Amino acid sequence: MKLTDEMKDTLSIIGAGGAVVHFTTCSADGKPNTVGERFVAVWKDEYILIADMYAQKTRFNLMENPIGVITIAHPVLGRTWAFRGPTTMLQEGLPPDYEFHGAKAKDVLDEWGNWAEKEPPSEVPPDIRPPMLVQRGVIFMKVDEVYSYNASEAGKKIL
Amino acid sequence: MTKLTPRMKNWIEGLGAHIGTATKKGFPTTIVVESVKVEGDNIVKVQLSEAQVSQIKQNISENPQVALGPGGLGSIRAAYQFKGVAKIESTTLVVEVKEIYCTKPGPEAALRLDILPYENIIKFESTRWRDTGPPK
Repeated sequence: MKLTDEMKDTLSIIGAGGAVVHFTTCSADGKPNTVGERFVAVWKDEYILIADMYAQKTRFNLMENPIGVITIAHPVLGRTWAFRGPTTMLQEGLPPDYEFHGAKAKDVLDEWGNWAEKEPPSEVPPDIRPPMLVQRGVIFMKVDEVYSYNASEAGKKIL
Repeated sequence: MTKLTPRMKNWIEGLGAHIGTATKKGFPTTIVVESVKVEGDNIVKVQLSEAQVSQIKQNISENPQVALGPGGLGSIRAAYQFKGVAKIESTTLVVEVKEIYCTKPGPEAALRLDILPYENIIKFESTRWRDTGPPK
């Protein structure tokens, strides 16, 4: 399933560290974890990635329950989208041929393994800027579905 | 008992929240609300639309665990996460917050705040952030 150009534009704010989103994961026994994230990008039209700045609970959850939901934090122009699909964490050290839903980890990490170099987030104010952009890898979602979170039509299938 | 600070209340009352829910087997669904009301120390009430009730009522009935992250500008500026248990009363989601975490990227990500003495949480906030809520 491919994201629309409008969705890709919303998720890819070049030079500004990407869009701001919330990312929800869940333990295998059903305890959700919902955190704000920046450093977001789209990869090959059907994947969304987020820089993994040592996300703690997210990692535990994805290791036992590899699915997530990404919701746009600033929904302008009716872009009240929630993206859901299988999600994992890619980082150096995986087998060279490791694939996740059709994507080669090496290809993803070669492009996005050093976010600070590829897209330095120059606009982040000092009081909310991470002390250092220390990246472990990337959180990587294959989007399976997109639904609306607009209150009047919450859950309506978009894609 | 868990107690939200004025800064926490100001942010989620002002800009709402992204609310994570899940089936008991861990299939997640997130809804987004534009405002909430905090009552007492740790009760968050959320007015839901009919569509939102329909979307999450099964999840809440089989698994009351929820997670809330501040919405809008609060996604980054109010780096908190609130976890608790919820029930739906008519069209209101009532959340009893039981855990509060800092989600600021870096060495304090996932730091659990509600286990600190309340005055230490206030001190923590005052040394990490300059605001006491969203811009007017």
